[in-house]
Amino acid sequence: MRLDDIPARCFAGVLPSIMATCSADGTPNVTYLSEVVRVDGRHVALSCQFFNKTKRNVLEHPLGCIEMYDPATFEAYRLEVRFDHEETAGAVFDAMRVRIDAIASHTGMAGVFKLRSADVYEVVAVERRDGYLAIGESVPVASEVTDARPKSEVRGIQLISQRVCCARTLDELLGSVLQALDDVLGFHHAMVLMPDETGAKLFVVASRGYEDTGVGAEVAIGDGLIGTVARERRMLRMSGVENELRYGRAIRAGVSRTRDRGRLAPEIPLAGLADAQSMMALPLVANDRLVGVLAVESRARMAFEEWHELFFEIVAGQVGLAIDNVVLREREADEEEDGPVPRPSQRLDAAKTIRFHVADESVFVGDEYLIRNVPAKILWKLLREHQKGRTTFSNRELRVDPFIGLPALRDNLESRLVLLRKRLEEKCPQIQLVPTGRGRFRLDVTCTLALEERA
Amino acid sequence: MSSAGSGAVALPAELVDFVESGVSVLVGTRDAALKPEAQRAVGCVVRGDRRVLAVLVPEGTGARTLANLAAGSPVAVTFSRIVDHRTVQVKGACERVREASAAEIEAARRYVSAFTEALYFIGMSRAISRRLGLEPLWVVEVGVGELFEQTPGPGAGARMEPRP
Repeated sequence: MRLDDIPARCFAGVLPSIMATCSADGTPNVTYLSEVVRVDGRHVALSCQFFNKTKRNVLEHPLGCIEMYDPATFEAYRLEVRFDHEETAGAVFDAMRVRIDAIASHTGMAGVFKLRSADVYEVVAVERRDGYLAIGESVPVASEVTDARPKSEVRGIQLISQRVCCARTLDELLGSVLQALDDVLGFHHAMVLMPDETGAKLFVVASRGYEDTGVGAEVAIGDGLIGTVARERRMLRMSGVENELRYGRAIRAGVSRTRDRGRLAPEIPLAGLADAQSMMALPLVANDRLVGVLAVESRARMAFEEWHELFFEIVAGQVGLAIDNVVLREREADEEEDGPVPRPSQRLDAAKTIRFHVADESVFVGDEYLIRNVPAKILWKLLREHQKGRTTFSNRELRVDPFIGLPALRDNLESRLVLLRKRLEEKCPQIQLVPTGRGRFRLDVTCTLALEERA
Repeated sequence: MSSAGSGAVALPAELVDFVESGVSVLVGTRDAALKPEAQRAVGCVVRGDRRVLAVLVPEGTGARTLANLAAGSPVAVTFSRIVDHRTVQVKGACERVREASAAEIEAARRYVSAFTEALYFIGMSRAISRRLGLEPLWVVEVGVGELFEQTPGPGAGARMEPRP
């Protein structure tokens, strides 16, 4: 049997593998492994976070024995391995590092718990452990184990290509990508985050499949699973998220008993599903710039397999470029008027008080928080102009308005307008931003507004 | 080799329940050419004086482990709790290998039930994990030599000072 004959799901980290080594004087050691990666047909890599007994042993005596388990059937595979070398840079190391950094950041151990090396072993022999399971009724492979579905996979890429090409606005683009992932591939929970003006944070600009859309929720770049993907611009695939985090928490408990305890930070809540079991997060990059992060989650433990990495890499590549393109197209066509867009009925809802807090640049509707920072200032400007009788606006004037203060180069006005529009839909549907053409929109207000500005 | 003789120390009383519960039980040995072998055991019973652990090893997967022990390999036994990764490793000498008694086979069955529940907690179907093969079952009597804290983290590998 060859290394390639072991099912990919055995490497997903759902059921940890075990490893025995022995010192030069013949004392054995046996331990769980946190991660085994198949490097090629003849090598595996193990993550080394601490200089532990296993590492010490293989440096003096390179032989090891690994037992791996199939999370779908619990079949066991036995590998005889020989330590070859350690890597502290390169593709294998980087992929491992993103996962470790993400767990570390999520569990408040950024900088404390980190990957020291990717230890590469030559696989000398592979066999299935006969007799590991009692002979008896065979158990069907759990339905949550996805089959590679080439048809829907190719169809999904084709559909996403079509949709990203014909999307006219950023809003339309993001909505159609998330819908395609749901419709064609059955990924019901997904979100797109984009960087804010400071470049230090991401905010959720579109989501699908969540009870609370989460639009506007922020993640600091470098924080948690998604923030780490953004900082490193590398994808992360996690199966058994809860198990991975439990592993992180076990280490955290150990760190809290050392002098490093002062470097621990609070655990970061998961974005999205609180009970996600699998997740993939992909950086969206266009022309060497991070334009966002696509995060897809599932409650199934093995929702994502190896082939999904390639698949989502293609999707992310398309979406990243499409985001850049649609924004450019929206700008080139700045102030191109479409035909008349119907106005809402003139019936007025009950009056609302809209309050702008200057100190933290936030807008409240009544007592409810609506939005802050740049989109809050955009809304405040629009509402003040609206009180003077104006109803139509252009993106261009927002871009140059010193009160709003968008950066001169590479602003993110489009994504901020999408966010503002969605927050209004959720929290104050009486105020609508209605596109009237590329780069132009109208402010429709169907209630009486009282504007208050507070220091 | 470990400096401590077989059964030199007693397992701390507070660890007895831990190693006899549904924690993962991993056995490490090596052959005469120092080729290591990793093996999953199906339970452990602590002898009354806590100086000897009866580690339950199924013959089906244990052929190499049992052969290594017959050739005089020292033993490492790691106990790890799935829910929080609490882990302890015992190193010692194999004092005897014998066939399991009916009571020990029963203990292995109870172990698999408890282990199945622990795996269920992390999302493994019970129908799958309760299929672990048991019989024929062998007992490896390990004299407790040294104890190590192995919970993942900066403290892993530290020797635990056993109390008399």
